[in-house]
Amino acid sequence: MARGDSRFDIDISLAPDPVIEAYKRDVDRTLIRENLKLTPEQRILKLQAFVNALDQLRGSARPR
Amino acid sequence: MTTDFGLLIRALALARVDFILVGGLAAAVHGAARATYDVDVVYARNQDNLARLITALAPLRPYLRGAPPGLPFGWDADTLSHGLNFTLTTTGGDIDLLGEITGGGLYEHLIGGTVSVTAFGVECRCLALDQLITVKRAAGRPKDLEALAELEAIAEERRDH
Repeated sequence: MARGDSRFDIDISLAPDPVIEAYKRDVDRTLIRENLKLTPEQRILKLQAFVNALDQLRGSARPR
Repeated sequence: MTTDFGLLIRALALARVDFILVGGLAAAVHGAARATYDVDVVYARNQDNLARLITALAPLRPYLRGAPPGLPFGWDADTLSHGLNFTLTTTGGDIDLLGEITGGGLYEHLIGGTVSVTAFGVECRCLALDQLITVKRAAGRPKDLEALAELEAIAEERRDH
């Protein structure tokens, strides 16, 4: 399942919320575009790799 | 303990638990770049499904997240039937079992707004992007604003490209 899959088609009919619109300006869309090239499983695996790396970093942290 | 997303999803799916991926992992499925560290699922509350849920997670020794060790927490039908939402830690990582979510309701209310996701060799249901946005908007929690902005940006990217 990837982009263009009809099961993932969307129909957002909610009116724009000015607060959310303000937050939206800070969203890094390059990351989103890269993720949208992946399958859902690849997206989860990418997240898993990040979480694992963060866990390793935490484990290796020592007071100076 | 790092959460093993694949292990938890497979455990639930292989035991034929009726569940829906929601929250941060559902957002990641749709393309969100924000990190999440647990698995959030809405599960059906009927007795058969509770039995499957118990079977699915029992090998992973679920326990109340953040609770001191040694509490009399039994992973059984009695415990599940007397509660609704459970924030658990397991040997496979953290999982939130939600009988109901703010803005979305029960499993039965949500299932019609889900998509099928195949991952880790199993198929499961995931809250659709538009439903994820609707639910988070309805919940109206300030902590969701950044996540909502990203989800709506994903919707725009999917629509425009």
